[in-house]
Amino acid sequence: MKDVIDVMALQSSRRERRLPDYRSTSGHSMATNFIFECGIKLGLQPATVATAAIFYHKFFKEADKNDYDCYVICTACLCAAGKSRDEPIRLRDAVNVAHNSINRGAGPLELGEEYWSMRGAIAQAELLVLRLLGFNLDVPSPHRYLLHYLRSLQEWFPASQWRSAPIARTAMAFLQDFHHSPAILDYRAPHVAVACLTLALHVLGVSVPLASTLDDDAAWYSVFTKDLQKEKNWEIMEKIMQVYSREPEPI
Amino acid sequence: MYEPTLRYEKIDFLGEGQFATVYKAKDVKSDKIVAVKKIKIGSRLEAQDGINRTALREIKLLQELQHINLIGLLDVFGQKSNVSLVFDFMDTDLEIIVKDSNIVLTPANVKAYTIMTLKGLEYLHQNWILHRDLKPNNLLINREGILKIGDFGLAKAFGSPTRINTHQVVTRWYRSPELLFGARQYGTGVDMWAVGCILAELLLRVPFLPGESDLDQLSRIFQVFGTPNEETWPGMKNLTDYVQFKQFPAQQLRHIFSAAADDLLQLLDRLLALYPPARCDCTQALQMPYFSNKPAPTVGAKLPMPTNIFKMESEKPSLKRKLLDNIDGGSLAKRLQF
Repeated sequence: MKDVIDVMALQSSRRERRLPDYRSTSGHSMATNFIFECGIKLGLQPATVATAAIFYHKFFKEADKNDYDCYVICTACLCAAGKSRDEPIRLRDAVNVAHNSINRGAGPLELGEEYWSMRGAIAQAELLVLRLLGFNLDVPSPHRYLLHYLRSLQEWFPASQWRSAPIARTAMAFLQDFHHSPAILDYRAPHVAVACLTLALHVLGVSVPLASTLDDDAAWYSVFTKDLQKEKNWEIMEKIMQVYSREPEPI
Repeated sequence: MYEPTLRYEKIDFLGEGQFATVYKAKDVKSDKIVAVKKIKIGSRLEAQDGINRTALREIKLLQELQHINLIGLLDVFGQKSNVSLVFDFMDTDLEIIVKDSNIVLTPANVKAYTIMTLKGLEYLHQNWILHRDLKPNNLLINREGILKIGDFGLAKAFGSPTRINTHQVVTRWYRSPELLFGARQYGTGVDMWAVGCILAELLLRVPFLPGESDLDQLSRIFQVFGTPNEETWPGMKNLTDYVQFKQFPAQQLRHIFSAAADDLLQLLDRLLALYPPARCDCTQALQMPYFSNKPAPTVGAKLPMPTNIFKMESEKPSLKRKLLDNIDGGSLAKRLQF
């Protein structure tokens, strides 16, 4: 029994250590990690967290990264994304989660000056984010496309082959991770979804049944999206892979 | 980027509510008269959870939608700590028209209003959005006689099987029986029922089912349509707030709407079906004989208008009240007082 507990303690302490220390990282290098960490802690759906990341990238496409506090903007993006996707979070929760993620181990903020100034800053930043986005909150969601593509493919694959490899999970993970990169703004949602799917199939060494019987310039995904060229698909896949060489994971 | 404050020239103050102030303004760029709804958040920002969710919901939905029979969101701009929404300016609304005793509503007028409402709603439903707050004073009408559905503060996407909705929507008099029984999963039927109540109100010139409480509302519904049973409404007893009602016999609609023709009664019957799946949708409704039979609907320019909108340009109590009603985005509680 003791062994089990020890292993669990070890695992959790390792997980603790793997979380980045936002205080010591400079600039915006950990911004999207922060969004994902806080989003998960706030219990938001993956697509909502992804929307927050999109808001963040869009914001800093317009604004200078040195002019704004990275984590205040990130938290504001989470609040705005929550509201726009009908999954609102309480400002107080957002403040506490953000504060606790930056100051690991610290308790909830006292309802004092620090709390109120952080809350005020995030509320104002939320408005600023919305204004800079031109109140254009409708983010085309690659998640939905990917879901439908996966469902269609699942029908096409023999059941045993589909079960043998975690295609859906891998593709979804690539999609979620791609939101770390501002490059996601450059591509259309269906194209991003196809690229994540193709990359997942390559990584898992799975090929689409009968795809090899297609002509050279035809691709199996042309049933999903007609205007995606093979070169473009590779370009997106490369951008996705670049996410993983971005920053050494702090361990 | 243009300077929004310079783009919209304030003409008139229309009203003020808890969350917003509404002005009539002129768009200098297009020379159009618009309504500017300024959401107040500046001083209250810290007290609330940031920007008003209802306003944001309205912005997001209306940006995606464009239809002649839906209110147009022309622009959104932020200035200092405020957010302002710019809408089409609408002269009046259906509630004013129904209540105006100087106005005679002909069968052709009623048909015109109903068609415009159904067309706007059809588009909305085709885009998987429920309005959830249809009532005469949310059906706005401009001086060209075009009806536009307004106030999207409660509108929501529907169709997700896992999504649980609140049943506390729709002003009581227009609320469907399944909502009154506490249904959490519902569809376009809630809007269709409201359209039925509005159509009935156009005929009667008074609210059709003015319930004083939720129970009274159900009781009034059953007194007209008869108390449903497991046969006429399978699954009714499983709804959260189901209560057993006294057995009322169904009345003949032709006795209530004595001036209505058979084709109109047929439409009412389908819109106000107690069992939600039996209710028609907008497309089905628009294909019913009522809309192709005579008389033809009145063309927009010939529809009646309250006299005061032309006489007294400076004073618009009607619109003021309307916009004020809309303003309290979170005004549901107010509307639902029991």
